[in-house]
Amino acid sequence: MPKIRRSSELQPKPLFLERMKTLLENEEDFESYMQILQVNPLVSIRCNTLKISPEKLKTRLKNKGWKLTQPFKNFPEIMIVEGKISKNNSDNPANQNNDNLYNKYNENATDTIKIKRGDITKSQNVIPLSPGELGRSLEHLLGYYYTQEIASMLPVLILNPEENELVLDLAAAPGSKTTQISGMMNNKGTVIANEMQLGRLKVLKTNLERCGTANVIITKREGSALCEKLNKAGFSFKRILIDAPCSGEGTLRSTPRGFLMWNINNIKQFSNIQKKLIESALKILNRGGTLIYSTCTHAPEENEEVMDDVLAKFKDIKIEKINLPKELKIRPGITKWNDKSYSEQVKHACRIYPQDNNTEGFFIAKLVKK
Amino acid sequence: MKLKEIKGKELAEIESILRKEFGIEKLPEYRLYLWGEDRIIAFTGDLSERDIWNISTIASIESLGVYIGKKDMNGIRLSIEGTHLLQSQINKNVFEITDEKMLEEWMSGADLQIATGKKGFLVMKHNEDFLGCGKASESKISNFIPKERRLKVSEK
Repeated sequence: MPKIRRSSELQPKPLFLERMKTLLENEEDFESYMQILQVNPLVSIRCNTLKISPEKLKTRLKNKGWKLTQPFKNFPEIMIVEGKISKNNSDNPANQNNDNLYNKYNENATDTIKIKRGDITKSQNVIPLSPGELGRSLEHLLGYYYTQEIASMLPVLILNPEENELVLDLAAAPGSKTTQISGMMNNKGTVIANEMQLGRLKVLKTNLERCGTANVIITKREGSALCEKLNKAGFSFKRILIDAPCSGEGTLRSTPRGFLMWNINNIKQFSNIQKKLIESALKILNRGGTLIYSTCTHAPEENEEVMDDVLAKFKDIKIEKINLPKELKIRPGITKWNDKSYSEQVKHACRIYPQDNNTEGFFIAKLVKK
Repeated sequence: MKLKEIKGKELAEIESILRKEFGIEKLPEYRLYLWGEDRIIAFTGDLSERDIWNISTIASIESLGVYIGKKDMNGIRLSIEGTHLLQSQINKNVFEITDEKMLEEWMSGADLQIATGKKGFLVMKHNEDFLGCGKASESKISNFIPKERRLKVSEK
């Protein structure tokens, strides 16, 4: 169950707030956004289908007393861990303190609680898992599941990799999306997973090993340089994922330290890196191939502006509409930001705000080479 | 690149050891590589040898496929993933962990103080779960669970 953040020391900077107010629809929307930032994110896992079926995993975890929900009918591998079933109702912090934000946010609480529009139900006899419990279960150690935020699972669902394809994951660490790709490919075909930072490479290797991904080659090189070299060597890909390095505004719920780090100059720097990265990657995308560009930030400079830049430079690229599970609320990309106008095509991209589905924030665009 | 494909005689030797040790009759059609001196890697990807070599000239290959076991003077010690990939064929030298306390001990990285009457590598198993290999000696089974995969009991 979501915990209320107790410390209010980490306050957003005024410019950040001003930008979010401009981005969001109205005052009520902004208020919802600010409220959900105070609530810890849901705990979600993805079943590693290379090792176990969702049904088997669900049964095992239920036998441990975990309460799980599968929010998407067509993707049973995605599960929300609501907590552990408690025999004692007073164990539940939500029942102990009726004046906390969780309850304020859920005024109509009865047997189950709905968080705004989100589909997440909270049973009152459920208590949170203890800290670290998710990462030290036998099932986790054996690689039967990966702890991954729901919004972060969406880019690979849209990429939709298939068996026997050659897929490039350009900024792969820590490996959540690489393992998801490999799982969807049933370990058949090849994934090139690139990461340039040494520290992150170690985490990537460990996670891939644990999940038993046997069709992945991990490379270490700066992303755009790697693409240029792959291009010269004659490699091309049917599917490419760029989960780009970004300013991380969408992850403020799980990492509130981001409030302190937030800086407009970082956004500009990331925007330049992202433009370079996607430009070089598009050169090695097959005709008819798909490139998914995603970030976990709301900043238009890192999202729509990057898309607009690409559309201006590559006449054979179009942004396609995205199909996501119908249970999710998504918003279109924006076409105006400050004094800039972007191509109408960027409307096909999608913005995911935390208050819409009780997730982290994300931006996802699907680019196809004509 | 410290990577060498295992073929011909070397492959036959590995197959023979695995048959003798764990009853594995036929290795799945993965490509096997030797990483460094003794680490055996299984790769299910379909890139050609030449493509892999080309990639190695473009970027540093940090890893490929999945580590399934280590060659040793006593045989082959399968990793957790090795036992997962080959579980349907493993039928020899299997040690069943039957109680939860022993499972916790094993997963936390401790040797099991138990005389099995066997010497050499044993595949460790608990119900349906394959847990890699231990090495049996007279009075114990030595544990090889890597640090990052160990159950941290003290945190419980």
